[in-house]
Amino acid sequence: MTLFKLSFRNACRQAGDYLVYFVTVVMVTALMYAFNGLIFSEEFQTLSQMLRSMPAIIVFASIVVVGIMSWLVSYTTKFILTRRSRELGTYILVGLENRQVARLFFLENLAVGGFAFVLGILSGNILFQILRAVILALFDIPYHFIFSFSLRAVGLTLLYFMPVYLFAQLKGRKRIRSMKIYDLIYFERQNENAVIGKSSRRKGVFAVSVVLGVAGTVLLLVGGLLFGIVGSACIIVFLYGFFASFSSAIPAWFEKHGERKYRGQNLLVFRTLSAKIAEMGVVMATIALLFTATLILEGSGLTIQKLFQNRIAFLACFDVIISAGNPEAEEFTDSVAYVKDSIPVTDSRQYQVYRGETSEITDYLENHTEYYRYYEKDILMRASDYTALREMLGYPAAEPGQGQYIIHCQPYLAGLLEDWAKPVRSGGYTLVPAGVHTETFAQYLWDVNGQGFLLVVPDEALQFGTVSHTMYVAETAEPVKEEQYNFLEEIMEWSMDSELFLFVKSEKEAEAASMMAISVFPLYYLALVLTMTAATILTIRQLSEKNRYRQQFALLRKLGMERREIVQALKTQFLIYYAMPVVPSALIGVSFILNFGSGAEPGVLVGTSHPLVIAGITLGVFFMVYVVYILLSYGSLKREVMD
Amino acid sequence: MLQVKNIEKYYGNKNNVTKALDRISFDVADAEFTAIMGASGSGKTTLLNCISTIDTVSAGDILLDGENIAELPAAKLAQFRREKLGFVFQDFNLLDTLTIEENIGLALFINHRNADEVKNQVGRIAQKLEIDGVLDKFPYQVSGGQKQRAACARAIVAGQSLVLADEPTGALDSKASKNLLEILTKMNRDMGATILMVTHDAYSASYAGRILFLKDGRIFNELLRGERTRSVFYHEILDVLALLGGDVSDVI
Repeated sequence: MTLFKLSFRNACRQAGDYLVYFVTVVMVTALMYAFNGLIFSEEFQTLSQMLRSMPAIIVFASIVVVGIMSWLVSYTTKFILTRRSRELGTYILVGLENRQVARLFFLENLAVGGFAFVLGILSGNILFQILRAVILALFDIPYHFIFSFSLRAVGLTLLYFMPVYLFAQLKGRKRIRSMKIYDLIYFERQNENAVIGKSSRRKGVFAVSVVLGVAGTVLLLVGGLLFGIVGSACIIVFLYGFFASFSSAIPAWFEKHGERKYRGQNLLVFRTLSAKIAEMGVVMATIALLFTATLILEGSGLTIQKLFQNRIAFLACFDVIISAGNPEAEEFTDSVAYVKDSIPVTDSRQYQVYRGETSEITDYLENHTEYYRYYEKDILMRASDYTALREMLGYPAAEPGQGQYIIHCQPYLAGLLEDWAKPVRSGGYTLVPAGVHTETFAQYLWDVNGQGFLLVVPDEALQFGTVSHTMYVAETAEPVKEEQYNFLEEIMEWSMDSELFLFVKSEKEAEAASMMAISVFPLYYLALVLTMTAATILTIRQLSEKNRYRQQFALLRKLGMERREIVQALKTQFLIYYAMPVVPSALIGVSFILNFGSGAEPGVLVGTSHPLVIAGITLGVFFMVYVVYILLSYGSLKREVMD
Repeated sequence: MLQVKNIEKYYGNKNNVTKALDRISFDVADAEFTAIMGASGSGKTTLLNCISTIDTVSAGDILLDGENIAELPAAKLAQFRREKLGFVFQDFNLLDTLTIEENIGLALFINHRNADEVKNQVGRIAQKLEIDGVLDKFPYQVSGGQKQRAACARAIVAGQSLVLADEPTGALDSKASKNLLEILTKMNRDMGATILMVTHDAYSASYAGRILFLKDGRIFNELLRGERTRSVFYHEILDVLALLGGDVSDVI
């Protein structure tokens, strides 16, 4: 048997502990390949003009991924070297040269890396098809399986993968070459003896870092650019300070609260935990930072996605909307004529939107809720136009009676406007409120059917009203084509009329789909890699402690501790270990998402798009990935220590 | 205090049975320091494991304070161990994440004693064993001898009836071994601890008041120190070992 085979077999025996790492490397490679596949896919380049900027964004995201993967591979290689140092030292002891052992370690890891790369490319193909199906669905294009294997994508993935892997392995090789037998054989022990510090300075650091953590979260919640930057800096200092000083703070706390030390399983749980964190404080802080970044990326991605979707949804009841302050303007008449002549219209209407005589309701909203005022006066519409538009949109009939007015508003204003009971005056009539309607009615932007709301009044009350702007809306038989939209936009391009407004549903939807593809997907890509990397490092550390746990378990059993109590202590310790980096990250991440969401215009992020719901979904998605790693680790702990 | 009656222990299956212990009987009186000697494979560790309830006997009875270990239900074994038995292992078996104080207090902690009691009792015993100056240190910060004293302290701190020591000097140099054996003697003489020590080292065994020699799972001989000096007793042990025919290299 060659030494390579022997060493490789040894590596395979320990593989169980590093399987999580291997799978993560495969998954990250697969993600890289799938996104690189998008760069080289001609199918996507032709979908939309906006998608042409996608390659640059993916390359940028991949460079960040390479950085993260580089940390993962370097860290794990160093860690495996530590764990296998006794074995490698033994090879040198029996007469092999350092150079040969270093080469052995290098080749062995290269073989594992190569295998991971091949598996990554194969699974990347499946991932590419999933990504393709999602993007095609965004553009409403039916998905058909087309086998695609891009050599250029493989090449680019290799270009990212190779330096990361080679750099880590060469560093390991250099390390072995310069090591003495004693260092290798006692390498592991040196690590175990990591000092659990008790300095008073560390206790101070702990207290200061907790204060900074609270301050940072408050600043993030308050919002604003300056507060955001200062808050983020506080959070970073908090994470590193907290984890660097945690192991000292625990003994200090125990000294003060001696009675709690021996309560329940406190002693075993917190001592083991603080020992572990003393060994990996900086790594733990980095993991917490990665988790924070993950939640921020996922939350921002989801918020952006909801913003785009909802903004369009508020207007998307009509296929085409054209509005102008001056209905005689050439741009308006030309574009309406173009729609009538060139696009198969199934239904359309041209009508006026009026400025009311008072601003009572606008003032009322401005004083009682977050409302962006655009019009000086309340905005009104004739009942006949309203009835026709409702019919065109397929909404149930609704019309104000004699001496009445209806309020049509966005859902977020409905509660407030239902409480509004005052009459309004128009055209010499005094009108009383007769209900509130909230169907989608193009009320999101200013030059449409009011900013958030309008009042529908009997036609006679607007016989001599002041026109605010003229609207043309249409439903088409088929989606408006990109070139038809471009033509319409060309007509309007040189207009001086600031109130000229054009909305084409199909174009806006394509734009939203493109935005999703170029901004949200890369954010998710990064978020996924960050979660997997951080969770992998946590899990490798946990799995490598199995022997220590086993010894501890055996000793405690011998000393007469109940099995149930030991298992309880192990479980608590396990849960706290996995929760520790997540709790600060979740607090910071949720604060950020709430703050980010609150920056959106009122009424857009409501209902299932509310920032709180987004924060919930973000945490849910994050935990879906994280829990897989936790379960893998728990399974191993249960199988190999508890049972 | 301890009565071992006709115990037998078999390993293996129908076709290949190994008899590790063969009808062994002896008593250990309260506050007695007894050593068990024998070559590798003589059954010393098996005997200790059976007494410590880690292993079960195939036949016979073991009574500690009148309670039959063999009849204890599995659920009661842990309670029995933590209340009645103290252990001193060859490799100390201290938890490296706990301080010396906490390691000693572990025996009280698992008996659910309150914090004040733990602190007081640990302090008291540590003072007697002269390790009160290192109580706030971690095991890797103290010497091998201090670690072994901490292990001894843990074995008696909860008022355990019987201290079981498995090759306690195996990992120590001669000076530290001497120290530890003097500590065990002190625990036995001044604190009334009942000690059962397994060793293959004649020097260590010479500190005991009585020695049982095991060979092939049976008690081969028994030596009582009586009023003799330790040096005389030591030479007698060597003579018995010569008769046993093994472990010569251990005693030279």
